[in-house]
Amino acid sequence: MRILLVEDEAPLRETLAARLKRDGFAVDTAQDGEEGMYLGREVPFDLAIIDLGLPKMSGMDLVKSLREAGQRYPILILTARGSWQDKVEGLKHGADDYLVKPFHVEELLARINALVRRASGWSKPVLACGPIKLDTTAQTVGVEGKPVDLTSYEYKVLEYLMLHAGELVSKADLTEHIYQQDFDRDSNVLEVFIGRLRRKLDPEGTLKPIETVRGRGYRFAIPRSEDE
Amino acid sequence: MDAGTALPSLAAKTNDAAARRPFSLAARAALTTGLVLAAFLGAIGWTLSRTYSDSELNKLHARLHDYVITYIAGTDARRDGTPLMPDTPPDPMFSRPGSGLYAVVLGDGFHWESSSALGRDFSFLHPLQPGQSQFIGPVDTELGRLYYYSFGVALDVPDRPSVRLTFTVAQTEDELESNTAVYRRSLVGWLATLGVMLIVLQLLLLRWSLTPLRKVASDMSRVERGQSDHLDSQYPIELTGLTGRINAFIDSEREQRTRYRNTLADLAHSLKTPLAVIRSQVEASELPPAVRAPVLDQVRRMDELVAYQLARAATTGRQTFAAAAVPVAGHAEDLVQSLEKVYAAKNVLCEFDIEDGAAFYGEQGDLLELMGNLLENAFKWAGHHVLLVVKSQRQPGRPRAGLLLSVEDDGPGIEEDKVEKILQRGVRGDERVKGHGIGLSIVQDIVRAYHGELIVDRSPEFGGARFSVALPPT
Repeated sequence: MRILLVEDEAPLRETLAARLKRDGFAVDTAQDGEEGMYLGREVPFDLAIIDLGLPKMSGMDLVKSLREAGQRYPILILTARGSWQDKVEGLKHGADDYLVKPFHVEELLARINALVRRASGWSKPVLACGPIKLDTTAQTVGVEGKPVDLTSYEYKVLEYLMLHAGELVSKADLTEHIYQQDFDRDSNVLEVFIGRLRRKLDPEGTLKPIETVRGRGYRFAIPRSEDE
Repeated sequence: MDAGTALPSLAAKTNDAAARRPFSLAARAALTTGLVLAAFLGAIGWTLSRTYSDSELNKLHARLHDYVITYIAGTDARRDGTPLMPDTPPDPMFSRPGSGLYAVVLGDGFHWESSSALGRDFSFLHPLQPGQSQFIGPVDTELGRLYYYSFGVALDVPDRPSVRLTFTVAQTEDELESNTAVYRRSLVGWLATLGVMLIVLQLLLLRWSLTPLRKVASDMSRVERGQSDHLDSQYPIELTGLTGRINAFIDSEREQRTRYRNTLADLAHSLKTPLAVIRSQVEASELPPAVRAPVLDQVRRMDELVAYQLARAATTGRQTFAAAAVPVAGHAEDLVQSLEKVYAAKNVLCEFDIEDGAAFYGEQGDLLELMGNLLENAFKWAGHHVLLVVKSQRQPGRPRAGLLLSVEDDGPGIEEDKVEKILQRGVRGDERVKGHGIGLSIVQDIVRAYHGELIVDRSPEFGGARFSVALPPT
């Protein structure tokens, strides 16, 4: 999950980025509106966190410009004043949710998860595809009710695949959305993760949840359960 | 807690003020000109009627004098010195008994009366020296009130001493009185007509000259109702000083509001960002829980205080000159759309019933905070339904209508015995009921600033909580 964080207050930006990375997100940071605009248009993010009080280009203008530039990923705005005027204006210009400063990081994480999930068409916090259930709130995975122990990166890869269940996800997509910029894209670490995931989710080899589309990428093969 | 108790008391206060109000300018002007006009016309009437009766009296004097002269001219004396009176009187009235016109001649042992005066008592007459004359009247006699003219003559008789005679012609007052009465009546009639015409003209002129003041008043109420930004008509030179000042005042009020709002926004940003930094740093740190917990708790308290006090400071309350009447419908839609976006996962259905043209007279930010907090509360607690009802409350004599606004949901609602507690706690900035955040405190502050009332009860339709706000007309 790749997140754009635009915040001008350096300590807050760094702490938040560190926390988000620890939770398995790929984070790009910008310290003003113009930098945010540049990154926001160039990188395929899954979500953007934008502070409204930014230098050079206000957060409101940034949200507006990103939407005008055709970016569809969810945007969460941070507002210090918390006035309804700001909230309504932000949401009207294309933001999807807001948080009033100072917020709890847990609250921010919960909102991020909910927004990303909703953006890929899941309305409930538990993603269910057949016997495989992924709880985005508790960040746990279970197969036929039995919990499966995953590392944070494994979880993020599975979450991304399940969020886009049924769709083809290229290796480039996965690496872009899961890893930081400096990650070596040519390595086969991704294949190793997929291999481990397959073994953990389907030790018997009967479910075959992750399909390899030769030369193009992966697809989560079990369809979404309607009664998730 | 009853909407009915607070509103009438407001109305009663303004009625008292109206009772002490001084007379209107129009009434003052009408009263003064009316009095001056009455005094002026009265004085004219008195003078004219006085002049007229003086001239009538002079005419009477002249006429009586003429009669006397005619009698004297027609009088002769016999050889024995007895006067011989003329056969024909100068006026037929002298021949008719009791006609009111009498002639009497007195001499030494001589007494003559005209036929009209036969048998009447003229003992009040005295003889005069020759050449003497007198005009007297009115005198009360048994013949009525009389004016009379007497003239003393000496009649020459050959070879004898001259005969002294006093000629008197008297006339009752009746004729003079009736002439004067007719004159007075027509004088009063004309003066009254003139007076009415002048008063009507005066009222028309007054109306015309007060028109600019009325224009100022109506422009002012347009500004109050938010239909106009300034007093922007053309006014006469005497009023431009006043209207210019008022416009400057309106501008400065608005400018100050804007500057104040911007300052508050800056202040919020510069207070809350450091708090956010502290919180995120502490939460991410390896500090032992004994240190973490109290620091985070203090951060929370400071955050709530800052949020509450800033919201409080931003509340404008009733303004003399609202920037404009804020239409409720558009803002309600924006708020509901925003909340539906944020609470998309809950799948809440929000209906609204907003009266056409319902408007909020105050700062737009206050309306947004009021509705936003109530609606967010409802979205937070609702199962699936939220209902927003907005109605105008007009009152004659108040240019700005009041507003009745209620938000209800199908959530668990608030127990009756907890309502008081929630509202009371909401008043204090540092102690709030969990789950109702500072939103309700802000709502209460705004309602108070607009002299309104907040009532919390159960929704009759959905069974959840219902928050009703009544803002009185101003």
